[in-house]
Amino acid sequence: MPDEIRRLSDDLARDPSSLVFMPLADALRRAGQLDVALRVALRGLDRHPYLPDAHDVLARIHADRGDLERASDEWEMALRLDPSHAQANLGLGFVEFRRGDLESAERRLSTVPPAEQTPGVAAALAHVRSALGARPANGAAVVVPNGSGPAEPIVAPEPTAPIEAIAPVETVVAVQTPAPPPAASAWTTPRSTRAVTEFPSPDPTRTKQLFDSALDGSDQHALLVDGDGLVLAGAYADGSGKDVAEVIAAELAGVSSEAERAMRHLGLGAWTSLLVEADDAIVAMTPAPNGSLLVVTASRKTPVGLVRLLLDRVLARARDWLVRVS
Amino acid sequence: MTKTPYAELLGMLSRHRGVVGSFVVSERDGLAVDSNVQIGVHAEAVAALAASLHRKARLACGAAGCGVVTFLRLDAEKGGVLAAGRDDLVLVTISEARANVGLLRVEMMRAAKALT
Repeated sequence: MPDEIRRLSDDLARDPSSLVFMPLADALRRAGQLDVALRVALRGLDRHPYLPDAHDVLARIHADRGDLERASDEWEMALRLDPSHAQANLGLGFVEFRRGDLESAERRLSTVPPAEQTPGVAAALAHVRSALGARPANGAAVVVPNGSGPAEPIVAPEPTAPIEAIAPVETVVAVQTPAPPPAASAWTTPRSTRAVTEFPSPDPTRTKQLFDSALDGSDQHALLVDGDGLVLAGAYADGSGKDVAEVIAAELAGVSSEAERAMRHLGLGAWTSLLVEADDAIVAMTPAPNGSLLVVTASRKTPVGLVRLLLDRVLARARDWLVRVS
Repeated sequence: MTKTPYAELLGMLSRHRGVVGSFVVSERDGLAVDSNVQIGVHAEAVAALAASLHRKARLACGAAGCGVVTFLRLDAEKGGVLAAGRDDLVLVTISEARANVGLLRVEMMRAAKALT
């Protein structure tokens, strides 16, 4: 493994724009060097933001770090770029299983073509179906042995539960050791009681962090603003650390309605996004449910295409949250 | 009829594939200074709205410490509005979905530097 990592690192150093960042990030992940793997994957995605396989690799890294939300976001992104991406479907099936959503997990895993069905997938599917068969007829969630139960169905995976137990990465890793046998721990009922941070309740102190896990760095911010220019969620601190979210929200009041009117006059259909490039940052906006506006900012060095993908990711989170609090 | 200094620039932008109109507008009052639009485009209304959007973006970016706005792109299902400003003047282009936005962006940002 160290030889493989060294060789891939040399390859990447020779050609930083090559796609070798994917097998390298994955090799680092499998070697347990998750922080380095994350950096390599993010840097690669900066250059190649539209590669579904790269999002898949990043998702695996997040999953191994225990961050199922980000992993889920990345797999969803991979599926948006390639709706038939089998590995992303597998990954999301894994996340759904972890969340106790067995029906969805079963649906996803069933869509995996037989050719992609590794022993791990087959075992996972059998496990899910077995659990579904044991489920009470009223459809109540399966109670996990640790007692977290239906009220808290979302639990973090054990650190020892590698994601490739269900979704090996042969398809993206050019040089790789054979996939390990399925680790039983990956698809057994979770034992940890440590809750994954989910969408916060309308607790004002927590809504500021709503988008933190969907953003990729400290130079990125997201705000959800209502139609009157009031902050609903998210945060924005300027260069001096001062919270200027409310000022920005107020300045943006009415943007949605003006964009809508402009498009109506032009007959170009509903507006989908507004992208503003400034000297030091890129600001992207999109209409969100209930007449609200979602705003994402990133540093100027972020590729514009990546900001648009980031906007999609944050919007998915905002939608889920608004459904919960509405 | 007197040609404004922007006529050539607007004509050049309007010849791009998928562009249905372009104009120079005053951000302060939303009035079109000059325009080159196809028949049926509500130039004055769109000019005012584009100027207002640009102003809001500029103020929000100022509040956020993002610096000066250089380019704005409003996307819709069947096309969009592009804007590049300098001081009070904003160069606006209305495009259909088939337009080459990347090329328009480069040309508009270059042209906006010459707006006076």
